[in-house]
Amino acid sequence: MASSPMESGALVSLQDLHPFSPYFKQGTSLRVTGKLQEFSVETAIATVVDGNDSLKIDTKNLRELSIRVGSMYQFIGELCIQPDNEAVLQARVGRNVDGIDVNLYHQSLQLLRQFQANHLKNPSA
Amino acid sequence: MDHHPLYNTHVKLLAFDFLSLTQTSSSSSSSSDPISFSRNGLLLSRAETCRHRHLTSPYFYRRSPPDVRLIASMATRFETEIKLGVVARVRGKISSYRGDMQITVTDVVIERDPNVEVLHWLECMMLARKVYNAVTAPGK
Repeated sequence: MASSPMESGALVSLQDLHPFSPYFKQGTSLRVTGKLQEFSVETAIATVVDGNDSLKIDTKNLRELSIRVGSMYQFIGELCIQPDNEAVLQARVGRNVDGIDVNLYHQSLQLLRQFQANHLKNPSA
Repeated sequence: MDHHPLYNTHVKLLAFDFLSLTQTSSSSSSSSDPISFSRNGLLLSRAETCRHRHLTSPYFYRRSPPDVRLIASMATRFETEIKLGVVARVRGKISSYRGDMQITVTDVVIERDPNVEVLHWLECMMLARKVYNAVTAPGK
């Protein structure tokens, strides 16, 4: 049965995924958003970019997802750090998010983190 | 027992809000529904949220945040409509099963707009600040 514990994907910007980031760990569950810049049919590896930052996404488990280079996608999966210290997200969920307001997304994500941190410090504030 | 009007409202909650709800065994309610849920002392019974569908299972089931499950009573219909990765707005009753909080779903709307989840976060934060936190819980 599908009762094995699965972590929720932490919302991160690609900018947050540098090697010193707390999210940059083997097996961390993440949710990332970016423009699909490259896709290899042979390996099912896609590259998403956001500004100057990029991340490789392994899409082999997403057979139903229609991949279109140049479209915006959101992926949820687990981070796999390879021996050369390059990270690849093993995606388990993917969706096309063409039309997303990227600025609104990034600003709201900051607000959400701030709100959550304040709430945990002082629940009634 | 009189409840605050918010008790019968589908309150809009963020993922971490669900995890910070307090579960209390209520002696005043019937034995079939012995657990009550509160946020800062305010009793709640219904909630609305906006989520990705994550897992495959006989019923619409999402174990994320880790201890909240969404269970659809109209599972068969939802199962065909809610594919993996789809974002849905879900309303239902907050309940508990073997200590784990769950939402027994009464209504699901599939959202197509990719901005809707962000707008849900903003609405939840606004409601928390201006409405839910502004209400004084009885006895507080």
